[in-house]
Amino acid sequence: MNETHTHTQTPFFADKQEKLAEILSRYPAEGRRSALMPLLWEVQREERYVSEERMRELAEIVGTTATEVKGVMSFYSTYHDQPVGTFHIQVCSTLSCALAGSDELFDFLSNELGIVNGETTADGRFSLQKVECVGSCGTAPVVQVNDTYFERVGRGRCQHLVDALKQGELPPVWRERGGDTVGAAKAEPLQKPTDVREG
Amino acid sequence: MKVRVNDVELDLAPGTSAIDAVFAAGGDVPYFCSQEYMSPIGACRMCLAQVGAPRKERDGSWVMDEATGQPKIFWFPNLMATCTTQVMEGMVIDTLSERVKTAQNGMVEFTLINHPLDCPVCDKGGACELQDRSYEFGDGLSRFQFDKRHNEKHHPLSDLITLDRERCIQCKRCVRYFEEVPGDEVLDFIERTAHTYIGTADHGLPSNFTGNIADICPVGALLDASSRFRGRNWEYDHTRTTSMDDATGAAIIVDARTGRIERIKAALNPDVNKTWIDDGARFGHEYVDSSDRLTTPLVRRQGKLEPATWDEATAFIAERLKGLSGKDVGIAVRADATLEEGVAAMALAEELGTGQLDHAPRPAATLIGNQTATITDLATADAILVVGDLTEEAGILDLRVKDALKGVTPPTLMPHGVPIADLRLKERMPRRREILAVAAPYRVDLMRHAGTAVHYPAGGEAAFFRALGKLAADANAVLVEADEAATGMSTAQARALVARLGAAKQAVVVLGGLALTRRESAEAARAFIKAVGAKELAVGPMANSYGLELLGVLPSHERYGYAGMLEGSKALILSHLDPAQDGEVAERLRGKDLLVVHDIFMTETAHLADVVLPAASVYERDGTVVNLEGRFLPVRAAPVDAGSSTDLTGVARALGEAMGKRLEGRSVRSARRVLKKRFDIDFAELPDTGLLPRTKGRGPAKALAGEAPAATGNVLVVPSMARAEYLSRNRHLAAAVGGNRLRVNPEDAAKHNLTAGAEVRLKVGGTWRQAVVHVTDGVPRGLMTIPSLPEQPVGLAQADLASIVVEQVRLEVAS
Amino acid sequence: MSDQAATAAKPAPILSRHDPRYEVTMYRYVGVEGAHTLDFYRSHGGYEAARRALTGMTPAQVVDEVKASGLRGRGGAGFPTGVKWSFMAPPDGKPRYLVCNADESEPGSFKDRYILEDDPHQLVEGMIIGAYAMQMTFGFLYVRGEYYLGTTRMEVAIAEARAAGLLGENILGTNFSFDITVHRGAGAYICGEETALMNSLEGLRANPRLKPPFPAAAGMYGRPTTINNVTSLTSAVHIINKGAAWFAGMGTDDSKGTKLYQISGPVKRTGVYEMPMGATFRELIYDFAGGPTMEPKAFIPGGSSTPMFPWEDRFLDMPMDYGTLAKNGSMLGTGGVIVIPRDKCIVDALYNLVRFYAHESCGKCTPCREGVGHWLPRMYQKLVSGLGQPEDIALLESVASNIKGNAFCPLADACIGPVQASLKWFRDEYEYLAANGKSKYPKNDWWQA
Repeated sequence: MNETHTHTQTPFFADKQEKLAEILSRYPAEGRRSALMPLLWEVQREERYVSEERMRELAEIVGTTATEVKGVMSFYSTYHDQPVGTFHIQVCSTLSCALAGSDELFDFLSNELGIVNGETTADGRFSLQKVECVGSCGTAPVVQVNDTYFERVGRGRCQHLVDALKQGELPPVWRERGGDTVGAAKAEPLQKPTDVREG
Repeated sequence: MKVRVNDVELDLAPGTSAIDAVFAAGGDVPYFCSQEYMSPIGACRMCLAQVGAPRKERDGSWVMDEATGQPKIFWFPNLMATCTTQVMEGMVIDTLSERVKTAQNGMVEFTLINHPLDCPVCDKGGACELQDRSYEFGDGLSRFQFDKRHNEKHHPLSDLITLDRERCIQCKRCVRYFEEVPGDEVLDFIERTAHTYIGTADHGLPSNFTGNIADICPVGALLDASSRFRGRNWEYDHTRTTSMDDATGAAIIVDARTGRIERIKAALNPDVNKTWIDDGARFGHEYVDSSDRLTTPLVRRQGKLEPATWDEATAFIAERLKGLSGKDVGIAVRADATLEEGVAAMALAEELGTGQLDHAPRPAATLIGNQTATITDLATADAILVVGDLTEEAGILDLRVKDALKGVTPPTLMPHGVPIADLRLKERMPRRREILAVAAPYRVDLMRHAGTAVHYPAGGEAAFFRALGKLAADANAVLVEADEAATGMSTAQARALVARLGAAKQAVVVLGGLALTRRESAEAARAFIKAVGAKELAVGPMANSYGLELLGVLPSHERYGYAGMLEGSKALILSHLDPAQDGEVAERLRGKDLLVVHDIFMTETAHLADVVLPAASVYERDGTVVNLEGRFLPVRAAPVDAGSSTDLTGVARALGEAMGKRLEGRSVRSARRVLKKRFDIDFAELPDTGLLPRTKGRGPAKALAGEAPAATGNVLVVPSMARAEYLSRNRHLAAAVGGNRLRVNPEDAAKHNLTAGAEVRLKVGGTWRQAVVHVTDGVPRGLMTIPSLPEQPVGLAQADLASIVVEQVRLEVAS
Repeated sequence: MSDQAATAAKPAPILSRHDPRYEVTMYRYVGVEGAHTLDFYRSHGGYEAARRALTGMTPAQVVDEVKASGLRGRGGAGFPTGVKWSFMAPPDGKPRYLVCNADESEPGSFKDRYILEDDPHQLVEGMIIGAYAMQMTFGFLYVRGEYYLGTTRMEVAIAEARAAGLLGENILGTNFSFDITVHRGAGAYICGEETALMNSLEGLRANPRLKPPFPAAAGMYGRPTTINNVTSLTSAVHIINKGAAWFAGMGTDDSKGTKLYQISGPVKRTGVYEMPMGATFRELIYDFAGGPTMEPKAFIPGGSSTPMFPWEDRFLDMPMDYGTLAKNGSMLGTGGVIVIPRDKCIVDALYNLVRFYAHESCGKCTPCREGVGHWLPRMYQKLVSGLGQPEDIALLESVASNIKGNAFCPLADACIGPVQASLKWFRDEYEYLAANGKSKYPKNDWWQA
């Protein structure tokens, strides 16, 4: 009963055979299916989501079914089965960011853009999503636009960011670090020892 | 290995799971995710128990408990899921303590918070594992104060399976089933955490084995779409019997209510089908309840068939027979008649003194080989060659081949039956694809699982085996070009295949119908099988093909066989056969002095008959069949209301009475007296799982000298899981498989102006066939395939392609 | 030699970053411009440890060295790394895999990210050493999907290393061959669990697998596999460079060497600090992070999964090591400290965390899917929105205890531990909220200019 499916659009990798071969070559022969996640990334990077048609294509490439691809894809929170905006704005909402005002930040963005969590603007430029911890707790709150982190986004910076995005520009990244992440030499104690126990 | 469950001491085999220890001890823990014959995964957390074990000192002695003088038991800090815990020497399992009860109650509560309270309208009510376990292990109260998760309640996963997403408890049985059993990964979890639901992106669940998920679903989430809302479980009469759908003899339960079959479920036969059946066996029963079933005899009076009593009908036949010489009467039964019916047919033939006796369809070659493998042999083989399309022809064999690919032997049964958690089974086990070779003239499903998948030219089975035979005789032989073409393999590939079969400890060659159609191909196959030291499994065309040959429901000479009697007899008694579909045969039948048709519908042949006798369907007979491995299996009648219809033993009784004779086989009991003498088996006492005699008697060496016409043609008649003769009456199955498929290569489709989905008529042999065009590169150019009929068995046939009539073009919605 | 003599002969262990003998190793170049290049790394002594291991030591010697150092897994569970390495069966010519777990997703943890971004070669070197020690044939680096910059930097670093003969065939002219593929995750906390990570790497849904079989017996593609955290591997670089004795000369009895502690929440200078194990929370929070900027009431000691402590001297003065925290009913975890200010309603803080676990539950097992994924967040939502009743607290406790210890993998317990700790220390806030329908600490704007 299993028959090969006929495609209705040009396969994604039809003109990207080299890229496809490179991705497949990253994994040992016994692990062809491992290429599924990078292939999903590849499709999503270009099309901003992965359609069922693409799922079927990828299934054929890695030797499984579209169902399995959908099962895998839907498990992970950063693959999308609907197109996201040109600027996919993700606001971390987990504890350290919440303590730095991420809820208020999110509401601000929501007002500015006129969309709620999970929505995309009608013109397809912005989508807004609350996400869980993205590993920027020391530089909270953090806004991730597509693949770029904007850290320690206070009110001023947030306005600046949103203004730039509305102009269609991703502003230059400011690198925020703390602790030893300013270079160990600079990270000397701010205070004298408060508790140096006997060695 | 000594284990204590509560207060019961047990001695268990190493590797046993703790949950099986509990059940072996007569104890009980609830479980939803574990399922016989599938991998244990520890997901539902229902089977938690307190587990402890002694420890050894460095010197190998036990750490002792000073208070008791016994080895000290170290309890695991957390409760353990017993389904994924392996027993250890000295293990202690406690399933009764307060701690365990609290946990079980807690798990029931979690399971129920999102489960709807629609038991009163749920088809599973009364036979629901969740319902039962909630009563037994829950405390009956819910502390959950919020809305339950809402989701689709009538999601059609396919034409055969309807999913209620609210009822699903995410046990994963169905998802694992598809990966582990048929290997068709068409169902998976979508999303994660509390949003997890089951779904598919392969629309219609493309697999021949989808119905089993309705059996194993512990709740009412996955339901047989053909029986939804048809009855409550306690209203059904459950008849355990043997499926007559194909030659494997799978165990089934027929559920009937008020004289109708409402559904069929799989039953357990560890040596045959385990607990699985294919969708043909499960959903292929709806025809039985068609409103046009024959319920009373018909007798032709003044040229018209009119209702009559059995007495009138049989008196009519007896009267006509008086005017005929008995040897001019031909008697033929379909190859799924029971042994008991076979006895009746033989008694009638003997009474009439005719050698024109046969069962049909019957391949040219014998089914009773010298080295018949058992199904278990197949499931444990280390090299397998399949010729044909097992998935369509004998679904159970397809699944058992897949068992062999896992390399796990069938589990030893425990006091409570099949182990609940066989720890040797894992999710996504590696499969030994390399042990399987599949050959067919077109692409068949099992090829996806085979290390070697080859296409040989249609009708070329003899050449295929002769070429392989050369390598079996001489490993260094080189195949000439013609041999390579005949095998679809290079010399190196073929050599590797032959070497693998030859070197295997247990090699099995499965001969599908295509390899048995012609004597010469079967002989070539058997010579090859013998040369490589393999065993064979020959797939007969129907449920009792093996048995009827064994019993000897055969002509005295091949020219008196079925084809011969259609031509040469003066009178015919046909049971469940419809040869008049072929126009030329119909013409000949019109010239018979007497035509008696015993069937369930007004077939083409019945329309020509002098007497039509209403027949019992395959679900309405008591009797015995012999499956393809030679196993005697019981067939039991389900309580179906079908008027005065009866099986062939009933015909023998009524006709015998009209003739003033008490025929052997005038009842099932009478037939069994004959069978007892013949086989030394008391068929009334046949166990559910059947009997496989250690020494298999060869069938009577009656003349089998005939040979089918030469293997040429442009259409290959192929086996089909969904039986073509009844498909139009099997509404759900027909929708699922998309009708009788005329499979056409895209180039040929273009050439003959055939579009996918078009409903067509075409003449194959002498028979007009209706079919739905299915365009696929799975069939080679220049060949089409069409499902077989009992009267048009597998093999090449000539179709008149100019005769193709397009009746309706179906708009195919792009899926 | 008597125990006393042995003790006397050994120098006192380094227990504070204030100890003048202490030096920062793993985080020396993080934040330094250009530190991610091979040139920079090599000109600062990079790949010397790999050279030493591959050309001067047998694999067994490397394993022994790491064993002797007392290094324990830095991913959270703290299993001794050298012992883990020694579980690998001898090579049999078939593939065996080293997997580096850089799926850093635990709230409060961000140490690995900066290594990936700023010092990727350190990790490459760590993987080479680990791979050599266990004679691995291939390596995977699993980076969480959001770390795009880190992923890119690692890919570039690996390509540089390959071009320089540090990866690929015959590394550094020896007959040891090894290469690394970077695998980008896609947003799933559960992938931090090693068997879920392997499923993800195999292109499957990231549900945790049954153990046994353990990865060392059957891991990636059914082959022997070892999974190590980023900083377990980078620690190995410095252990080989400076010797096991150097590493073991820092820390407490059960916890040796240096560790990357992270601090977030309202303190002056949040960030990552490399400190000897055994340094106290007080040293981290006050001396390095500059102390709280708001009045504190609690701190989470090692990432969101570790049960919190109230802001009391007895807890602030605890050394940050495995044993002390375990003894006090919590865990060291990833060493990600989160300071919770007085004005943050503790029920709200826990609702935030519970939502995280609800979002990240894989859905495989019942208590986690239904309890953590569905019931708990609703109970918290009810409480936080002021609709709770006093008896809801007992119900919450009962549901939590039904989950605890009964789930398939540690994720559910990682949620329940913090819930129970918050009830233990701050029950009054729950009771106040349930009784009054509003929080004791209603502050609702946390956003700074």
